[in-house]
Amino acid sequence: MATEDEGLPAQTGRAVLSLATDVGGVAVLAARLLRRMAPPRLDGPELWRNLHRMGVRSLPIVGVTALFTGGIMVIQAGVLIRRFGAEGLLGWGAGFATLREVGPILIALMFSGRVGANNTAELATMTVTEQIDALETLAIDPLAYLILPRVLAMITMLFVLTIYGDVLALMGAAFMGEALLGVSTATFWNGLLESIRVWDMATGLIKSALFGVVIALSSSHFGLSVSGGAPGVGRAVNASVVASATGIFICDYLATYVLQ
Amino acid sequence: MIEVTNVWKRFAAPVLRDVTLRVPGGCLYGLIGPGAAGKSVLLKCLAGLLRPERGTVQIFGETIGALDEVALQAVRNRIGMLFQNNALFDHLTVAENIAFPLRRRGLTDEAEIAARVADRLRAVSLPGFEERLPGGLSGGQKKRVGVARATVTRADVVLYDEPAAGLDPVTSQKIFDLLRREQQEAGATVVMVSSDIDRLLTVTDRVGMMLDGALIFEGTTAEAQGSLHPVVKQFVHGEVDGPL
Ligand SMILES: Nc1ncnc2c1ncn2[C@@H]1O[C@H](COP(=O)(O)OP(=O)(O)OP(=O)(O)O)[C@@H](O)[C@H]1O
Ligand SMILES: [Mg+2]
Repeated sequence: MATEDEGLPAQTGRAVLSLATDVGGVAVLAARLLRRMAPPRLDGPELWRNLHRMGVRSLPIVGVTALFTGGIMVIQAGVLIRRFGAEGLLGWGAGFATLREVGPILIALMFSGRVGANNTAELATMTVTEQIDALETLAIDPLAYLILPRVLAMITMLFVLTIYGDVLALMGAAFMGEALLGVSTATFWNGLLESIRVWDMATGLIKSALFGVVIALSSSHFGLSVSGGAPGVGRAVNASVVASATGIFICDYLATYVLQ
Repeated sequence: MIEVTNVWKRFAAPVLRDVTLRVPGGCLYGLIGPGAAGKSVLLKCLAGLLRPERGTVQIFGETIGALDEVALQAVRNRIGMLFQNNALFDHLTVAENIAFPLRRRGLTDEAEIAARVADRLRAVSLPGFEERLPGGLSGGQKKRVGVARATVTRADVVLYDEPAAGLDPVTSQKIFDLLRREQQEAGATVVMVSSDIDRLLTVTDRVGMMLDGALIFEGTTAEAQGSLHPVVKQFVHGEVDGPL
């Protein structure tokens, strides 16, 4: 516990230590999960259950966010498009921004808030109420039975949701382009399909896979390493969401740099 | 059957201090002691959930800390455990909670599973509770579901942490009698932690008392009741005056 009369060096030291502990914890978790992938030791029904509840149930919120984001991009860009008469570039601009950057990152943040936070809360509750211990005494490996299906489901579903969200965001943009700027949808899609390369789409999807790994590992790590009863669960969820968001932006920065 | 040798375990402070304990096969061993004496931690060391820093825990002649994952799972398949706060899986119904250990041991015959679940629920006086969720149960009901889950596989070694906490005196005695009867029928080795000393001592063969992480007394039930050790005497007889 940080106390107020503690000096700055002590506080800094403590923060660095706890950061190192968490980063190390995530790395160890990743290594232990990888060991369980070859040969795969995975609970099939658990995987399906998680794919369903993490993916299918996220469709509405991701859909709404994506549609509005697409629309908002056009509203913001509208002034410039009008001034320069660059209607033909609308599809290119919206496509480039959505596929490479806005889509993956926004959907990852939504996913982290909905699915990642939920995952941390569930695992943390199971940890403090000794349900994880109970699994172990029943000769079940919690990592194979509980964690691996969740991690795989999160990575898969964020990837799929990103494709779905990209499509909806572009539809939102096309709709707003027509309604606000009078750019016909045909012009919009032509502009988009002519100028966007497969690589632009691939960049976004590679990023979304990375974000999936970040969210899955950090939300599981904070759930499993919780301590201190019910208040600890709240702290774990908080830490997990902050860590996921930070991790997403760091990964985005690095990936954008590498994948140019 | 269960052998604990010079076990040390610490968290922030030492919690187990040089505990040595032997539970013979087929014995119902009562573990008593005041709060925070380290009873639950010792049970978790027995189940291999916590690793002692020093000392060894042997069950069925296997040293728990030295086993690889597969061997440890094989040992755990022969151990049942009730946690102090039950540790029911809250996303599963009562029936699925009780059936869980059976399914994990490869039982797939749904009719047999349902029959054994119903039998367990009758045994703990909760017939017809199959489809309830743990969240909607009272404290004592949860405890009894926990007892049902811990006993459903008839394991060779069963560890109970407070099997009667939060139960009224009548239900409490019924649970102790039930666990004793089934332990004798199965010839199981049982370690039972309970604060309900009077009722606990009606079913135990041997008793150990812990204080501040150390085992300060070990003997038969009669020896515990007749002990002249001031702490044991005070604790067993619930006296207000004394060293505690
Ligand atoms: N996971 C843990 N982290 C830190 N300290 C712990 C942990 N588990 C137990 N302790 C400490 O170990 C000591 C013994 O705890 P334990 O749960 O074994 O007591 P107990 O004898 O079961 O008490 P009670 O009768 O109240 O259940 C306590 O002081 C407790 O604070
Ligand atoms: Mg306890």
